[in-house]
Amino acid sequence: MLALRVCWRRICIISFFEGHRLLPSTHAHNPSERPLHTLTSRRMLLLRTLQHAGRATKCLTHTRSFAVSATTRLSVDRSIYVSKSTNPYFNLTLEDWLFRHKSPKDPLLLFYRDEPCIVIGRNQNPWKEVNLSSAENTGTPWIRRRSGGGTVYHDLGNTNFSIHLSRSAFDRNETGQIVLKAVRSLGVDANLNDRNDICVGKDKISGSAYKIVNNRAYHHGTMLISTRLDTLGDLLRVNKPSLVTKGVASVRSPVRNLQQYNPSVTHEGFVQAVITAFRETYNIRDEVCEVEETEEVKSIPYISAGMEELPQWNWAFGQTPEFTYTLSNTFTWGTVTANIHSKHGMILGCTLETSASTLPVQPNLQGLGEQLSGQKYGFVEEDVLVLEDDTRREVWSWLRNKMSR
Amino acid sequence: MFGLLRSASRPGLAVLRATRTTAAPLASSRVFARTIVTKRFTTDHEAVIYDSDTKLGTVTITDYAQSSLGDVVFVELPTVGTAVKQGDQIGAVESVKAASDIYAPISGTVESINEELSSQPGLLNKSPEQDGWLCKIKVADEAELDALMDAEGYKAHYEQS
Repeated sequence: MLALRVCWRRICIISFFEGHRLLPSTHAHNPSERPLHTLTSRRMLLLRTLQHAGRATKCLTHTRSFAVSATTRLSVDRSIYVSKSTNPYFNLTLEDWLFRHKSPKDPLLLFYRDEPCIVIGRNQNPWKEVNLSSAENTGTPWIRRRSGGGTVYHDLGNTNFSIHLSRSAFDRNETGQIVLKAVRSLGVDANLNDRNDICVGKDKISGSAYKIVNNRAYHHGTMLISTRLDTLGDLLRVNKPSLVTKGVASVRSPVRNLQQYNPSVTHEGFVQAVITAFRETYNIRDEVCEVEETEEVKSIPYISAGMEELPQWNWAFGQTPEFTYTLSNTFTWGTVTANIHSKHGMILGCTLETSASTLPVQPNLQGLGEQLSGQKYGFVEEDVLVLEDDTRREVWSWLRNKMSR
Repeated sequence: MFGLLRSASRPGLAVLRATRTTAAPLASSRVFARTIVTKRFTTDHEAVIYDSDTKLGTVTITDYAQSSLGDVVFVELPTVGTAVKQGDQIGAVESVKAASDIYAPISGTVESINEELSSQPGLLNKSPEQDGWLCKIKVADEAELDALMDAEGYKAHYEQS
């Protein structure tokens, strides 16, 4: 009878994808490929997902019988999805899966919340956008998403929304208005700024980004409800004026939480308000679909591949646009200025110049610079470096430290 | 350099291979030039300028695309030497926080990319179909051009959408 009660509540819980059996997850974990900073948090996320694996999930609709069907599906036929997972790797991948598989003309709305993490735009530089030492100290992973735009901080006090439409019907102002309408209905006098972000006065409460493919587009964004703004400020605070990127820089703005304007606003309240506005705009009637992060869902090849890709070096670091980083340090024997040129996460060149009057130092350092060329920025294989003397060792130690944060 | 060059899961591009009854290209001047340059457009708002002499297709986005994208701040291009198939994602453009995928209008191998775009992404707005060219592809099969639209067909296409 539990089934009947759930039916009446008109919520559909979905778990499997068509044609796939109950297979254990067969992800190949490659710790050596994964940046160190994600390992701790990934372990935590892994533990949590393993806890979910034992849970039986059901898809119950008003047309189906009570028994659990072996072919229940994660379907793209729905229009409104709410993810119950707080795993950012899962949520970003679920979003992408829905984006690529929904029929191109149909509107879709997705909500998700993530455990604390930093999310950078597709074409950004993590060394420029993320306070890597704070992130490591707090065990906060950073992830590169597939849409453009700047860097944001997610925690459970932030609700992410994602509106998908056909490319021809897509209008970022229109989708911005949907969310704005929802926020206003919660009694907050918000507005859209010229970058299509939702603000109250001059303070941002939401940031937006977009992705466009040949026949489809999405507008997704954050909504700060009760986020730790102090943590946000710390993790996104980077001061490297001499790191010059050809990629996309964040446009920094002061931010506030919705609860600072209306303390009674909650994640659920915001979600309901956006659903209402979305239903009105696109005349959507179907039920909300809750998606759980189960082994079955993660065994969908597109999803398992996507979740694997996100933390790997190729995407996380290898997608970094070209940049140069100029830095100086004074040692007991002289000052060294390093000029590192990097693209796609690789060091293309590193020139090391010194003020030291001792003759051998300059060519010595030049040799070190040449060795760094062709190595991964921030992940230099130390074993292959020839560090014959103290000068090289000191300079290398300084560079290694600077590249890691 | 991308993660996985993932083709969007969408209805496969129907390559309408009309049988060519003649070998004659659409425009030619037999007296003054032997090189035939053909320009074709895709439904995804890319253009390819094909030179039958060099067999190179210069890929660009269209003027219509750049105006709907807004100010381009970053251009992601394929790696030289990559083999691409018609419809594959070969790059992306970022403009006003939107990452837009670009697709290969024809199959072949990427022979060169426009290095200017790394320091001047705005070229895509200023001169989308000339100075803002994206890459040159060594065309594998000229017949694929037949599946694409000519200038008039393209104009009709975007005006109605």
